[in-house]
Amino acid sequence: MPEIRNMTVNFGPQHPAAHGVLRLVLEMDGEVIVRADPHIGLLHRGTEKLAESKPFNQSIGYLDRTDYISMMCNEHAYVLAIEKLLGIAPPKRAQYIRVMFAEITRILNHAFWLAAHALDCGAMTVFLYAFREREDLLDCYEAVSGTRMHATYFRPGGVYRDLPERMPQYQASRWLSEKDAAARNADRQGSLLDFIEAFTQRFPAYIDEYETLLTDNRIWKQRTVGIGVVSPERAIALGFTGCMLRGSGVEWDLRKKQPYEVYPELDFDIPVGKEGDCYDRYLVHIEELRQSNRIIKQCVDWLRANPGPVMIDDHKFSPPQREKMKGDMESLIHHFKLFTEGYCVPEGEVYVPIEHPKGEFGVYLISDGANKPYRIKIRSSAFTHLSGINDLVEGHMLADVVAVLSTLDIVFGEVDR
Amino acid sequence: MVMQAIRNYLKSLFLLEMLKGLLLTNRYLFKRKITVQYPEEKTPQSNRFRGLHALRRYPNGEERCIACKLCEAVCPAVAITIESEMRADGSRRTTRYDIDLAKCIYCGFCEESCPVDSIVMTRIFEYHGEKKEDLIMTKQRLLEVGDRNEAQIAADRAQDARYR
Amino acid sequence: MTDDGITIEVNGKSLPARKGQMLIEVTDANGIYVPRFCYHKKLTVAANCRMCLVEVEKAPKPVPACATPVMNGMKVFTRSPLAVEAQKSVMEFLLINHPLDCPICDQGGECELQDLAMGYGRDVSRYQERKRVVGDRDIGPLVQTEMTRCIHCTRCVRFGEEIAGLRELGATGRGEHTLIGTYVEKAMESELSGNVIDLCPVGALTSKPFRFSARTWEMRQMSGIAPHDGIGSNLHFHVKGQTVKRVVPAENESINEVWLSDRDRFSYEGLYSDDRLSTPMVKQGEEWREVDWMTAFEVIKDRLGLILNAGGPERIGALAAPTSTTEELYLLQKLMRGLGSNNIDHRLRQTDFGDDTEAPIFPWLGQSIVELEQLDAALLIGGNVRKQQPLLNHRLRKAAGKGAAIMAVNPVDYEFNYPLAARIVAGPGQIPAALAGIVQALLEAGRTLPDPSAAALLNGIQADANHRAIADRLLKAGKAAVLLGDLAMNLPGLPAVRYLSGIIAAMTGARFGYAGTAANGSGAWLAGAVPHRLPGGQPSPHAGLNARAMLERRLSAYVLLNVEPEFDCHDPVGARNALGGAQCVIAITAYRTSAMNFYADVLLPAAIYAENEGSFINVEGREQRFGAAVRPQGEARPAWKILRVLGESFCPGAFNLDDIEAVHAAIHADMQGIEPRNLDAWLRPDSLPWVNGALQRLTEVPIYSGDPLVRRARSLQRTHDAGDGMAHIAPGDAGRQGITNGDRILLKQGGETAELPAVIDARLPEGTLLLQAGNPACFGLGPETGEIEIGRA
Repeated sequence: MPEIRNMTVNFGPQHPAAHGVLRLVLEMDGEVIVRADPHIGLLHRGTEKLAESKPFNQSIGYLDRTDYISMMCNEHAYVLAIEKLLGIAPPKRAQYIRVMFAEITRILNHAFWLAAHALDCGAMTVFLYAFREREDLLDCYEAVSGTRMHATYFRPGGVYRDLPERMPQYQASRWLSEKDAAARNADRQGSLLDFIEAFTQRFPAYIDEYETLLTDNRIWKQRTVGIGVVSPERAIALGFTGCMLRGSGVEWDLRKKQPYEVYPELDFDIPVGKEGDCYDRYLVHIEELRQSNRIIKQCVDWLRANPGPVMIDDHKFSPPQREKMKGDMESLIHHFKLFTEGYCVPEGEVYVPIEHPKGEFGVYLISDGANKPYRIKIRSSAFTHLSGINDLVEGHMLADVVAVLSTLDIVFGEVDR
Repeated sequence: MVMQAIRNYLKSLFLLEMLKGLLLTNRYLFKRKITVQYPEEKTPQSNRFRGLHALRRYPNGEERCIACKLCEAVCPAVAITIESEMRADGSRRTTRYDIDLAKCIYCGFCEESCPVDSIVMTRIFEYHGEKKEDLIMTKQRLLEVGDRNEAQIAADRAQDARYR
Repeated sequence: MTDDGITIEVNGKSLPARKGQMLIEVTDANGIYVPRFCYHKKLTVAANCRMCLVEVEKAPKPVPACATPVMNGMKVFTRSPLAVEAQKSVMEFLLINHPLDCPICDQGGECELQDLAMGYGRDVSRYQERKRVVGDRDIGPLVQTEMTRCIHCTRCVRFGEEIAGLRELGATGRGEHTLIGTYVEKAMESELSGNVIDLCPVGALTSKPFRFSARTWEMRQMSGIAPHDGIGSNLHFHVKGQTVKRVVPAENESINEVWLSDRDRFSYEGLYSDDRLSTPMVKQGEEWREVDWMTAFEVIKDRLGLILNAGGPERIGALAAPTSTTEELYLLQKLMRGLGSNNIDHRLRQTDFGDDTEAPIFPWLGQSIVELEQLDAALLIGGNVRKQQPLLNHRLRKAAGKGAAIMAVNPVDYEFNYPLAARIVAGPGQIPAALAGIVQALLEAGRTLPDPSAAALLNGIQADANHRAIADRLLKAGKAAVLLGDLAMNLPGLPAVRYLSGIIAAMTGARFGYAGTAANGSGAWLAGAVPHRLPGGQPSPHAGLNARAMLERRLSAYVLLNVEPEFDCHDPVGARNALGGAQCVIAITAYRTSAMNFYADVLLPAAIYAENEGSFINVEGREQRFGAAVRPQGEARPAWKILRVLGESFCPGAFNLDDIEAVHAAIHADMQGIEPRNLDAWLRPDSLPWVNGALQRLTEVPIYSGDPLVRRARSLQRTHDAGDGMAHIAPGDAGRQGITNGDRILLKQGGETAELPAVIDARLPEGTLLLQAGNPACFGLGPETGEIEIGRA
């Protein structure tokens, strides 16, 4: 009798559906997956180790680059961890700005997830539509921080700068008529808050469009219903968080369970799935888009009504205003010292998790009292979710691996760090 | 129950959900396009934009940089290299100011740290290098970028002054 | 706990203390930090910055911790609301007049004002009014002033009075108009002036050579040992990349405390001299060619091989600078002795080798450096200790401050920064007679000669009041020392000086010691870099030629280790001629000089100072090891490696020393059980050196001309101590010849002439003409001592 051996297939690391540099070694019995073995580390940059050699603030920019789809959310966890060790709290307005941008980031992430997921399963159009919305939100990123991705905007004690009063506008040119320019600039007449509010007005209709294209679509359902099912017990056992957990029907959201910043003051719901398959997770994502939109609206309203400082008024931690720095000795010294040495953080260790778009993103920080972290460990949900891939794809067809991979919402910056 | 099943069957039979989707995409076919024709056409840019670096001068032509090296110290990527000495007139000046664009992470800390508004990040984002050396901005090149764009740089900073 | 032990309570913690201690000493000893600007543990208490205010229970107001003596049971709070408020307020006042200079200030990043403002001050200023501006004064090439930044802590003023012994800086004016500066615009002359840079808590006094060249956070701190005097001060190199940017002291209570002499602090500039040799070079015909190391070694092997075959090993000699490491000197003597030659010496300036056989194992200080402080009397013979060994002098100054009688017998009436109890100024030829006078005075005081035959030397010697005063103070002292300086070691008639000094020490019960050697003079003796001693001080069965004889005998080949004979030898012109006439001269050197172009045949680039590794042995016999702080420049290599490869090529197998540890171990195997001792039976000279009335030349090495490194330190060469290049004439001699200040005079010595401007120097005894070594104008004159004639040019 001839010996029968399972075939091993290399999936990635150059495969477009591998979401980055994942190398998945699949053991196949014909078309059926017997075992999936993810190989990671191709994007390892030593973020955690690098952070040990820099003053605390200098690593904010590197946290952007862990999950580079949800930039400000990564910053959020890091900044909250430092603040907790320092025992400082940012002004209320800064907290609202942070929460607003955390939710904008959630929309950015989910829109990207949806776009990529749909594309992986064969729906090109959703990709284009989702990126249209991302474009508006990235403009918000740019307006507030100066970059469209790696913002370095959150700081221990608040945020770097207040929201701008004006939005940049399209200029009419040979390629863009006055009329078209005016149409594009319709929402850009006022402040950033006006721009965001206009977005929140039109966004629910856009979500409906995504749903029109996908929710009832038979192909979409065929690709997702019953694929990658995780039972609630198994999801908890595997350490799943975020949509991966809520899709299985476990109502767990850190914004509700361990509220931070101003989430307790905001009104929103936590969607949960029933079956724990890719389709349910899709529905959870869609509903979270709507809930985030709701939160942003509330934040916009609060921020309009409550002007004020966006940075803690203690220059032992936050550099003074430039104008003051140029005219007063104490401020200059604090500016000089903060930018060369940074601040010292009291001895201690903290773990601060946040509800990241992808799940629980935690920063475990140990300080030995110096101006640099003694150790920092990033708990990334993508790493945990990827670890569970064998459970999800076992017994499925090869094509389902793609659907499962994209439902995991992994980003290699975060997995490999 | 039975009616529901029949309705579902008909929906399914006539590809209703597919047609709905097609109707949606069809609507967009006739809408005004939002595509931006880069590079002829550009998206609007924030005055806070963090692009290519520049070194500025005072209106009298004197370079602003005083070689305090705060930017070098705060640079998380160690992309800035400064060498300094006493100039003949006794002032503290750089003899070398290099930014390695291949290392830079464009966090903007250098601009935040600069006590004399010398090093700034401009709106320029379209640049390239064919050799590695092309990506090292020397003091001369940085000053040239600053000289060419001074009006824009000054206007952007003026507009944002009260936030900084 | 001793009898006067008490207990105080600081922040609720009870701490042991001694009566009479200041509060801040107790908190410092127990790791409780109290902010301060004016307090410094090595200076007296001024209590004028008020930064160290703390709350003491039952005291009505906050009190300064630096000026509050501890009392039993006292309860102190350093961080109570009252103390914090007081510190904050003081900080605010200090910053009122401080300029916004941080970005351009060299102190930025290591500034105590910044640190304390961050730690103890407010974060925003309330002061809106004008700030005070103070003009700067130029106080010399070493220290940069920026007096607007001054916070009037007066550390520098107190340093001048208490440590340097010169009131160079002082405070004038009151209140806001207080200014710190030299009273009249002049450069600081102290040989320890650089220490005010470390003392200044702000950026008012900073290093001039270092100015604007680096920030603290860019530099790594590497340890090192000072290479200029035999003290072996501990220091730190501050290194940026592979460049030494500055040197600061490393604290070592038993050697340099917290101080560093200017020479040790600023000589690093010599590392970056333009004439550094970066590749091995070989002379072929008249052409110099850069070669690789292997080629250079082959050339050496060929050329030395020829000489070994033709004239034998005795035709080869080695001259080593006493600034070389013990390892280098050991390997050099091992190489020479391996070749079969004992011609090796490091005593390049010595003229009289008459009592070599009786010399101690190494020229020991006779006590530890710390013990100098406890002396009750000290007699210095022939040396400018203040300038040449500033930190030995600092210990003597401390002793003088406690009432010790420091006395000197010198050929030049050198200035000391404390009053001398007695002094004798005698020309280079008269020093033995002066010492004999002291012996005579001791005999008069009823002491007996330890060596009865010495009486013959005392014929016709009369003790005068000075001799008696010195004898008297030495006899009265509980602890006394007789110290021989570096100038004495290089005079003709050294055996007589040594013999008589030894007798004085024996008759008074004083310790006999050597105060002046080069950085590793002790190491050179112990490593066997002398013709008549093997490593560890074992007598050599066949004594070789000493430095002077080697040059006078015109050998066929010379090996030079870190030596520039035109500056470092007793007879520069003789050395140049001897080397020029040799068939092969191999120079292991860090620098390439024009003279080397003339006489050398192979130049091997050596690492020096911060680039080198090895060990130095200081005057008290303390061995200190150091590693390289930076990589050697170009192709240069540590000389021990060069010598090891050279040795291996001539004596295969004998130089199997793979790393510096192995070399070190080899030296230690030879140095087992060596105890420093100085007082052996000295060789009695037959008579006192007789000197006729002719004018005698005396040559002093300016303190910044002692070795190749410091000669190239640009900033030091601009100071007062760099040497003025003039002929110093005693007033009497000048009067006789009708010479006035600034006249150009003609010097005649051994048939050669030179022309120099003259300066009338009241420090000189009649019949002595003082020239400075390393002065190119008198290069042609011949040996550094001897008869000389002067006339008007």
